Amino acid sequence: MSGDIILVIVIATALAFDFTNGFHDTANVVATAISTRAIAPKPAVAMAALLNFVGAFLSLKVAATVGKGFVDTNAITTTVVFAGLVGAIAWNVITWYFGLPSSSSHALIGGLVGAVIAAAGFAAVNGEGLLSNLIVPAIIAPPIAFLVAGVSILLVYRIVGKLHPGPVGHGFRLGQLASSGLLALSHGTNDAQKTMGVIALALVAHGDISSKAFYVPDWVVVASATAIALGTFVGGWRIIKTLGTRIIEMDVAQGFAAQAAGATVILAASSAGYPLSTTHVISGSIMGSGAAKRLSAVRWGVAGNIVGAWTLTLPAAALMGGVVYAIATLFGNGAIGPLIISLVLLATLAAVFIRRLQQATPAPVTP
Amino acid sequence: MIVAAINTHALIKMVYSSVLAGVGVAVVFSVAIVGAARSSDLRREHRTAAAAAYTALAAGGLLLAVGMVIYGLILVAHKS
Repeated sequence: MSGDIILVIVIATALAFDFTNGFHDTANVVATAISTRAIAPKPAVAMAALLNFVGAFLSLKVAATVGKGFVDTNAITTTVVFAGLVGAIAWNVITWYFGLPSSSSHALIGGLVGAVIAAAGFAAVNGEGLLSNLIVPAIIAPPIAFLVAGVSILLVYRIVGKLHPGPVGHGFRLGQLASSGLLALSHGTNDAQKTMGVIALALVAHGDISSKAFYVPDWVVVASATAIALGTFVGGWRIIKTLGTRIIEMDVAQGFAAQAAGATVILAASSAGYPLSTTHVISGSIMGSGAAKRLSAVRWGVAGNIVGAWTLTLPAAALMGGVVYAIATLFGNGAIGPLIISLVLLATLAAVFIRRLQQATPAPVTP
Repeated sequence: MIVAAINTHALIKMVYSSVLAGVGVAVVFSVAIVGAARSSDLRREHRTAAAAAYTALAAGGLLLAVGMVIYGLILVAHKS
């Protein structure tokens, strides 16, 4: 009975995480298109939400990697998955509150790994899987996106350089609509699958799925797609500002090149089953398209702050996942610990959102 | 040992797929824009034959770009 209760809490928490992932990563998908005025904010976010939903149905390879590639499934319990998710959500909310782009994906895997270490020690972590399927792709993907966007924009300027700016700008605005859509689709493909993998992992721990015949049930795919799409629709305006205008000031051709580069890198990674950070990739491509035009156009200080936040994500989320597991098991192995932590988490989230809304509301003007 | 743990084949494939597809789509779409812009200029100058050739270039570039994206999406969906 308590196992069933924890499973329900885990699924609800995983879908809440998926929602925050969409909420947090809206910036990755729409920031460049909004900042170049290729599309207005509201339709951009609506399009991103819809295509995130569609993208979630495109592939299941990343879900399989998350579900069986990083930790020993025999060491997994529903409480471990719960603690990993709460650690990741806590890190996402902290970075959102301070306006720092981080990586929801690395937060999720970091939280999970931290909780597994707390529960079963380092031996339960698949170090080779982490290195091969997470760390190395995470290191090389942003430079690839940087390179692809940089080479693309250099060739684009060479091809269209002698034409009147008016028709070229109009053409790339249309192109950016398509590249935004492709980026949203690729985001749904890679990011929604991480939640699917975690829920499937919880189902393995609960005994509903055999670890030897791992698969993702259809209802998990539909639920994860819906949660990420809703999160994307609600949006994360604070981080949009950081990614869209503070790294570089872009023209539409740069925006198009950055989004096309980001989308192709994410789709290629999804095809290989790598759970990439879409934030890392699109930030790399934005910097590439800016640096190719003029190195000084990139505000490297802001880029450095973002890289610092990335570096911190995996260990910080792992620490939080481990601490949450320790707290949850203080109350025994039943559902009491996860229930109490869920209530505390909900209360904290409500307080953070209310405080943020109060800060965002302008003070009344007095005559 | 660390290198042995890494699936270099999959990584290299990801790298060249990204480079080819990303740069390819950007170049082909730019060619389509050149075609559309030049076609519009030439039509204003009443050079219909040249305008038609650039319109064909624009249409071809656009179709190729769309085709590359659809082919890429089919590959991602098919492999999963």
